Amino acid sequence: MTEGNWPLWADQHPQTSTPATATCPSCGRTVAPSDAFCEGCGATLTPSAPPPVSTPNENSTQTRRLGSRNSEVITCPACGGTIDVDGYCQTCGTKAPSARDHYFQTPAPWIAGVCDRGQRHPRNEDAMALWAAGNRAVLVVCDGVSTSTDPDTAATVAAQTICDHLVGRLLDADADLDYTEAFTAAAAAGNQAVVAITAPDSPNAASATLAVAVIDGDELHYANLGDSRVYFLGQHTQELLTLDDSMAQAFIERGMERAEAEALPRAHAITKWVGRDSPDVVPRIGTRTLTEPGWVAVCSDGLWNYASAPHQLAAQLAATGKIEPIDIAKSLVAWANAKGGRDNITVALASFSGLTQPTNLGVTDPVEAQSVEGEV
Amino acid sequence: MAEFSAAVYQNEFLPDGGTDVNAIVTVRCSGAGSAGRTGSGNAGEIIAVDTSGSMGHINMGAAKQAAMVALDNILDGTYFAVVAGNHKAYLAYPMVQAGPGMVVMDPRTRAEAKRAISFFRAEGGTAMGTWLNLCRALFDSIGNLANKHVILLTDGENHNETPEQLHAALANCAGHFQVDARGVGVDWKVAEIRKIAQTMLGTVDIIGDPAQLGAVFAELMRNSMARGVANADLRVWIPQGAQVLFIRQVSPTVEDLTHRGQPVNQLTMSYPTGAWADEERDYHVSVRLPAKTVGQEQLAARVQLAVGAELLTQVLVKAKWSADTNLTAQINPEVAHYTGQAELAVVIQEGLNAKQAGDFDTATSKLGRAVQLATESGNSEATAKLRKVVDIADAATGTVRLKQEIAKADEMALDTASTKTTRIRG
Repeated sequence: MTEGNWPLWADQHPQTSTPATATCPSCGRTVAPSDAFCEGCGATLTPSAPPPVSTPNENSTQTRRLGSRNSEVITCPACGGTIDVDGYCQTCGTKAPSARDHYFQTPAPWIAGVCDRGQRHPRNEDAMALWAAGNRAVLVVCDGVSTSTDPDTAATVAAQTICDHLVGRLLDADADLDYTEAFTAAAAAGNQAVVAITAPDSPNAASATLAVAVIDGDELHYANLGDSRVYFLGQHTQELLTLDDSMAQAFIERGMERAEAEALPRAHAITKWVGRDSPDVVPRIGTRTLTEPGWVAVCSDGLWNYASAPHQLAAQLAATGKIEPIDIAKSLVAWANAKGGRDNITVALASFSGLTQPTNLGVTDPVEAQSVEGEV
Repeated sequence: MAEFSAAVYQNEFLPDGGTDVNAIVTVRCSGAGSAGRTGSGNAGEIIAVDTSGSMGHINMGAAKQAAMVALDNILDGTYFAVVAGNHKAYLAYPMVQAGPGMVVMDPRTRAEAKRAISFFRAEGGTAMGTWLNLCRALFDSIGNLANKHVILLTDGENHNETPEQLHAALANCAGHFQVDARGVGVDWKVAEIRKIAQTMLGTVDIIGDPAQLGAVFAELMRNSMARGVANADLRVWIPQGAQVLFIRQVSPTVEDLTHRGQPVNQLTMSYPTGAWADEERDYHVSVRLPAKTVGQEQLAARVQLAVGAELLTQVLVKAKWSADTNLTAQINPEVAHYTGQAELAVVIQEGLNAKQAGDFDTATSKLGRAVQLATESGNSEATAKLRKVVDIADAATGTVRLKQEIAKADEMALDTASTKTTRIRG
């Protein structure tokens, strides 16, 4: 700062009782703006002191760090950018895909399942659990009820608990298993597991459907609660084995056509489920001896919404043109997604070719899919 | 040690083809400490008092007393100066010709400053740009001050400068310090002083009765001394290909920040928010995204509060496209409330402008809408101030008549308070 830079009030207005002479005699409320700029006016003052030094690091003494941002670098599938620790891409904001959104299982070459978020639901509330050993397999599909709280967790724990329970029973059984008792006990165990993860004060207790198939040689045992299904899609016969616990099924039983009933606004409202507020967790149970090559399909409504009738689903399966169960399952899920993917989509398949003959599923138009060798 | 936290209020769901995401982000600061006492740097305070001839005996006397009360509320150890302004700007205290133009507050300097203020005499014109430029030079003469704050008092229009000159001074000073501006009497222009306050991240208000000056100055200075966080920035990240529609502070007052941003990187803008005490502020963030297909989810914005290079808190504004109209049709209550409060500020100002221009039909319609909005949102302060300008026939429909006799001070009080908002939450 050079001498005399500050325009001092004291200099202009000596602190005495004698009135000082005005330094700008023309000033006042009537002065034109251009007259205001006489010599020594503050507006022309130029600072000569150095500008403030920027010292951002000093702030650490008064503030708290948000947290380390070091993390494993994940690449965004949409744009190739980096996924932030907050779970979204740093460039395009795309939500990082969750492992839960899409997964598949192939416990044996003849068993496969795919579980997928679909297109319209923000998360995947379906779940599946598959097991296979020798010529035995367990396929469980659960569909979390969207209107409940934490349906994705409910479906996951229910599927795994039920599968584990049935596998335990299969491995322990030295003679014929009582499937009525085993399925009932498995559903009860699944129900308990769901109740265990439900908050005591939850107003919408977590809940899920259940569809399960157990294959033991050429015996197929199945059970369900809610509207997830078990189909057998064979060369000559294609059958929906389970009966939905749903409003649509109630109307069908009263004589309404299936297509009409399933198009009703509340068709998908289910009447049975596992979960704390379930009125009844005893599943419907059935057994079938398989006599022809074909596929056991366990699926959620995200798939059968687009092919409800057994012959339609069989046609779609054949139309995939694939041979391996995992490829067929992936193709069916991709097809349901292409149809709109309105719900989560799960399909678990078991290839049954007990007669070691090619299966073309009785589709009139021969398809590329031919011999499907299973291990049954 | 200051702690920041943030919360977001929004409806994440967009309909098929929807592009615009709106969210209210609440930022809370706690443990701010006192200005200049947090170890992050010293605080500087300047009291700039209008000493133009129009102040007259009564206002000048009240202003002197108020400036002294303000001095009493500056914490010892704070750098300070007193500026006397008319058509020029004078350094009234410290009485130094050169070097640092501010001194550290202690009992001796406080007494000396009061003595200097006691000699103020009303004469000359008004050129507020020169006052602001002197303030900047005084702050710069110390250098490295953390908090920099000015209380500016005026009583009249900025006669001795062109609007361009005032604009240039504001451009020179913006970002360097904050200004709380107060007008005494009814001969000053609200729009002019509001522009100073808004540019300088401060507040504006009318002091109708000079007897209130002391209490107002004391409160302003206490508030400033409570701002232990000197400078914080709101940072907004948006995805590539997205566009910020607006960024607006909506509580405690409506301030449009949209065009005040400085780029941090390609996708992030930084908006200055000035100093913080223990307080909460709400921001309305509006972002336009390219539409995605139903079922997709993406981030619409990361909203962060930063001090210097440090991020102290962050919230995520999301977009989820859904075919469920029950979800997509809902308007978030916070967004709706603050959209109404922002419109309230606009219609009050437009209504008063129309009235001044002699367009009474427009004025009646705008102020009627203001009454409706203020009533709906429970903004009782705005309603009370509107009642002094209009007779309300039906608040729900906004049916009003302009009052025949309106006190100028009431009109100005409505104008200065137009940007004050109520909160939807307690």
